[in-house]
Amino acid sequence: MNSQIDHLGMLEAESIHIFREAAAQFRKPVLLYSIGKDSTVLLHLARKAFWPQPLPFPLLHIDTTWKFRDMIAFRDRKAKEYGLELLVHTNQDGKERNINPLDYSPTFYTDTMKTVALKQALDKYEFDGAFGGARRDEEASRAKERVFSFRASGHRWDPRRQRPEMWHILNGRLGKGETARVFPLSNWTERDVWRYLLREKLEVVPLYMAAKRPTIERDGQLLMLDDERMPLRPGEEVKQRSIRFRTLGCWPLTAAVESTATTIEEVVEETLAARTSERTGRLIDHDEASAMEKKKQEGYF
Amino acid sequence: MSANVELAEKEIVADPVVEVELTDSLRVLTCGSVDDGKSTLIGRMLWDACELYDDQRDTLSKTRAINGQGDVLPDFSTLVDGLAAEREQGITIDIAWRFFDMQGRRYIVIDSPGHEQYTRNMASGASHADIAIMLTDARHGVKRQTRRHAAILHLMGVKSVVLAVNKMDLADYSQEKFEHISADFAGLTARFGFEKAVAIPVSALSGDNIATKSKNMPWFNGPTLVDHLKSVPPRVSTSEGPFRLPVQMVLRDGRDFRGLAGTIRSGKISVGDEVVDALSGKRALVARIGTMDGDLKEAVRGQAVVIGLDTDIDVARGDVLCGGAEERPSVVTKSFSANLVWLSETPYDSGAGYLLRTATDLVPIERLQVTALLDLETLAAQPSDYSCAMNDIAWAEIDLGRAAAVDVFDQVSETGCFMIVDALTGASVAGGTVRELRDGHEIEGDDEGEAFILDRALLASGLCRDLGNSAADNKEFMRRAREVSVLMKAAGIRVKVNL
Repeated sequence: MNSQIDHLGMLEAESIHIFREAAAQFRKPVLLYSIGKDSTVLLHLARKAFWPQPLPFPLLHIDTTWKFRDMIAFRDRKAKEYGLELLVHTNQDGKERNINPLDYSPTFYTDTMKTVALKQALDKYEFDGAFGGARRDEEASRAKERVFSFRASGHRWDPRRQRPEMWHILNGRLGKGETARVFPLSNWTERDVWRYLLREKLEVVPLYMAAKRPTIERDGQLLMLDDERMPLRPGEEVKQRSIRFRTLGCWPLTAAVESTATTIEEVVEETLAARTSERTGRLIDHDEASAMEKKKQEGYF
Repeated sequence: MSANVELAEKEIVADPVVEVELTDSLRVLTCGSVDDGKSTLIGRMLWDACELYDDQRDTLSKTRAINGQGDVLPDFSTLVDGLAAEREQGITIDIAWRFFDMQGRRYIVIDSPGHEQYTRNMASGASHADIAIMLTDARHGVKRQTRRHAAILHLMGVKSVVLAVNKMDLADYSQEKFEHISADFAGLTARFGFEKAVAIPVSALSGDNIATKSKNMPWFNGPTLVDHLKSVPPRVSTSEGPFRLPVQMVLRDGRDFRGLAGTIRSGKISVGDEVVDALSGKRALVARIGTMDGDLKEAVRGQAVVIGLDTDIDVARGDVLCGGAEERPSVVTKSFSANLVWLSETPYDSGAGYLLRTATDLVPIERLQVTALLDLETLAAQPSDYSCAMNDIAWAEIDLGRAAAVDVFDQVSETGCFMIVDALTGASVAGGTVRELRDGHEIEGDDEGEAFILDRALLASGLCRDLGNSAADNKEFMRRAREVSVLMKAAGIRVKVNL
């Protein structure tokens, strides 16, 4: 009989292989956990890779202090449920200077509270390999990303220093001062992530499912008011709308879509029929040309 | 002209995709240069497969390109844009990965640059591919570049190739021209022995024979490019071949289960089967095939599993489990001949330290001797003891500091490949395939006839009497022992190291 594993099975096995290769080669790895659906898949695959052992590395969440409250609750619940070591880091200097997404440009805010914060945490704990959920299908600059992506000291990403990857061989030997980012979901697409969540019956943050939520319309995008910190502009009014999110980040920077899909099955159905690409809901990406690539060179994940 | 725009736009309205579960995936390498219309070909495939989002489609609709008939069409190549650094500085022309779904199959398009100075990028792209689409311009036919690509694909183990003879719209859709090119191509592919080689006349810009049969070339009876891709089986679709599982790590459940974690790279395994550790020759039975979702009775190529054995035979990372039916799997070697493509900008340096990275092992390289280089003009191996520089494709003899488990690439490709790593910088400087094992099991094999026993006492009493018990001294002890055994072997003495 010519038994073979299906497409999602292949992706799963490839990700498990990547997790194990990285864990075997890096001295002190960490899983960057951003609470979203991709992180949910990433965590699930990590648990599968090291079964029957517990995860051989901690989770790190970079908390900008502007994440949706539902995300934080979900994070803490999952860490407890699976008995995970969870590290939470906030850029204290940025917090004291009150760097926020309302008064500062998305680029400056993201750089301070995400990029700088991530570098601080990686340095503080001396992590040499960090797992992230980035995928090659997300946008053009990521289409050329490696599975093991190397950062020179200072976390700078230099296109010249990236290593060719051949066959299934993953070379994690680090040069002086180098660290690596590891992307086990490199060859997954957004649709694969949704299909897999469904197949594995994984729980996601409730914000991915539609519900009546307080929203305003600003610059042609729907924003949800998660707390009292965002003042309304003249003419804006808070309206209860049935909305859900396709990606989750800092709430003033994450646009919602109107939807009535209240179960994960309905969301997947809507997503599979979707006609706009995922990152259009992420406001930071429209900021400047080649935005993502620039952020990457500066150390953004 | 405006009538043409209307016509063209009507033509490219595609049907919405019917969502079906994906059953498998195919990795497609596209090789060719910008001048051959490669970006346009990929863009056109994406467009015709209708997997684009509305915002991408809107952006594309604003661009314009004109085909051989004067029709105005979107510039499909803009879908395939690269890094800003690449555009601005013209560096790191790199392979790009793109994904689209069509009728139950995921297509992973690996886009590699075609020019000679990017041979290394093409070779690394080819290592991932099930099939390669080689592009050529119908006005130029099978060029030097096409021949070079065929040689690289062959060395990297790609079994199925397609020649897309592009820009037929600029060659009057001429049957005669195509048949001439097709005959040249057949000669080329016969030389390299590809399992499947097909030539298809296309116009990427106009969409002729991409996803729909061309009305302009009724004389062509073969499949469209997309139809052909649909018919090709992926490389990992078979679980035939000998069982191979390179061990990645040992996982325990905190009680008495000691599991060997790894991905099956060839063949299949069932509970109760006998396996043999290639390096030690020790045998055991498979007691359990575990996963977090429950135990399996059988596992096949491609699956990531945790294997429990009935007896502890001390297997760890770097070892390769093989099928027990093989008398003695011929995979253990200390020296072998290989093909390699040099990837690093720094040429091979005989004074530098290199490591061989196999599926999961990392072994010091004692000697690397280049014996020949691929002559890009004649495509023949040109004897050379010259070192090896970026983009060179070489034949080499490699001696390892200790035995490793590798297969001959033509027999089991996934455990017959390796990378060479610079010990100091960690950089991957070359990728290669194993051609022939030189010494089989002599190193660790059973004794046949007299062998000189080089043991600890002998070395400690003389050569190593200046060494103490520290870790550094012990390392030096091992180094000297190895050196002595190499020298003795070179002098024709059978030697067994027993420390």
